[in-house]
Amino acid sequence: MIHTLSRETPVIVQGITGRMGRTHAGLMRAYGTNIVGGTSTRTDIKEAAGVPVFADCAEAVAATGAIASVFMAPPLETEAAVREALAAGIKLVVTVAEGVPLHDAIAIGRAVNQAGAFWVGASTPGLAIPGETKLGFLPDVCLRPGPLAIMTKSGTLSYEVGYRLAREGLGQSIWVGVGGDPVKGLRFADLLPMFFEDPRTEAIVLVGEVGGTEEEECAEAYARLGRRKPLHALIAGREAKEGVSMGHAGALVHGESGTLDSKKRRLEAAGARVYASLEDLVRGCVGG
Amino acid sequence: MLLIEADGKSLFAEHGIPVPVGVVATDAGVLPPGAGPWMVKAQVPVGGRGKAGGIARCASAAEVTAATGRMLGSRLKGHQVDACLIEQAATGQERYLSVMVDAAGYGFRVIWSAAGGVEIEQSGTAQGRLCPPDPDAVAAALAEMIADEPDAWRSTVADIGHRLARMLVERELALAEINPLFVSDSGCVAGDAKVVVDLNAVERQPLLADMIRVRPSIYADANRKLEEGFDYVELDPRGEIGLVTTGAGLSMMLIDELTARGAKPLNFCDIRTGQMRGSPARLMRVLEWITARGSLKAVLVNIFAGITDLGEFAGLLATAIESTPGLQVPVVARLVGRGAPEARAILAERQPSMLVTEDLEEALARIESIVRGRPA
Repeated sequence: MIHTLSRETPVIVQGITGRMGRTHAGLMRAYGTNIVGGTSTRTDIKEAAGVPVFADCAEAVAATGAIASVFMAPPLETEAAVREALAAGIKLVVTVAEGVPLHDAIAIGRAVNQAGAFWVGASTPGLAIPGETKLGFLPDVCLRPGPLAIMTKSGTLSYEVGYRLAREGLGQSIWVGVGGDPVKGLRFADLLPMFFEDPRTEAIVLVGEVGGTEEEECAEAYARLGRRKPLHALIAGREAKEGVSMGHAGALVHGESGTLDSKKRRLEAAGARVYASLEDLVRGCVGG
Repeated sequence: MLLIEADGKSLFAEHGIPVPVGVVATDAGVLPPGAGPWMVKAQVPVGGRGKAGGIARCASAAEVTAATGRMLGSRLKGHQVDACLIEQAATGQERYLSVMVDAAGYGFRVIWSAAGGVEIEQSGTAQGRLCPPDPDAVAAALAEMIADEPDAWRSTVADIGHRLARMLVERELALAEINPLFVSDSGCVAGDAKVVVDLNAVERQPLLADMIRVRPSIYADANRKLEEGFDYVELDPRGEIGLVTTGAGLSMMLIDELTARGAKPLNFCDIRTGQMRGSPARLMRVLEWITARGSLKAVLVNIFAGITDLGEFAGLLATAIESTPGLQVPVVARLVGRGAPEARAILAERQPSMLVTEDLEEALARIESIVRGRPA
């Protein structure tokens, strides 16, 4: 359902009365996202960021018909928030908090699958269909409608990529931050078929990082699904220190596993182009 | 985060998984426990220690003292050796057993191999099974995998596997691996312990939090993260470029790009400007750590401000620099996004010698010219 999101899609913000929830609900509305309400445990607050505040998701969904939710509160509360959203019938949950424990993430993933819903996160700036809607806090300065689908583990590195490409006139059809955690919702390989189906998307940009096996899984899916659109990849962490998480919990190299070489080799073998620097990626995308 | 073997083994012991009798030595005068032979093992949180010379088998106490003395203070695979584990050498056939979180499968993966040892990853003999995240499911899967093992130790191995899985759940671990697991008629014992902790769960895991806190030098990066609330990893104590950056992915990429240009980054840093809330404290901490290294030649500040107000950030940066008299090298600031013109004006007034640019390539080129000692 990610690529069919639009400015009509009704979205709620869970935790809307917090500092972050209030700020970003306002910024999302300003971008054009159809924020129809929010939830909070603060029963004394009836309105925040210009939309009604409800006691929980069930109440919010009943009143607004929301089908997507953005959760803006601390990591240790994420699992309970997702369960609440799923129970209310929400079909897309975006959780931005960094630091969701691994075993909580497993439980979230299983609950989301069981509910037949989608989860984007954790540890993500969110997703956007530029010109239509954004769920999360992708900076407006990077967003510009165009032909590239961006999928990324990192927030900041993707801002840099999106900003530079937009400066060259190449905007985005869809932008999904899958997040920097090892256990997460949608993964790179899950997004490929959506990007292949999406008529606005002409090429795909993968912004990866060392650690985990997502880039390798994506390479396998890319070859299996028939390389229907060009895939450009940039992977950070060539110089990462073995055995040490580089900020993101998932960016962890052990021995040969998760190294840049392994990812680059597999992606190139599958027919993707892998670049060594930001500048090379931009030139590669501009050159087609 | 990978625990050192000694901590992994004390966690094993906590959960009833047998380990050799051992002692942790931080100086060469420590007596080995019981009768020999012994193993002396450098305690650094990284794999492949044996091949790198960090593991020695010793027949006498004198050999133990010599091996401990040789390892302590040395560097092994990029880590300073601050402690050695001295333990009685275990005997028996070698097996491999691990239980880990399977990220894509939302479950646990149990791996068993009848051929343990250092070459396990290359040997291709390991078989893995994906299970629901439940210790009983892991035990059931393992029971099938070890069906060919002799009666003498099969039930002991099964019990160890069950305990390993329960430990994974109770301590919220990413990985618990025993390689080799020594098996014999007289019992089973974990020859090594590789335990990967989830730092995001440590807040509700007091035992693990204590383990990390009592070893500030070995777990320096983790302690910094737990105490300061942001990420700072020292990459090279002889590095030349100090990084004051936000965002893990972009910081990693900058390290790669600087290295490709022949510059030596000192650190990785995700300072999280969004959490600074009007205080220069984090910036001052990072500048303090960076300037503690005499090899420093330049500082690169890189902030892509989606939400952060760069005007406010520039004020905090100027204050932090003014409060860090030890900072004697050029600072290059690449600031782009919300409030960039205000930031430029503030820094032009308060830090006139600083190069402030919106262009990352220009900032990197300036750093390169500083490192190479020629004017930009």
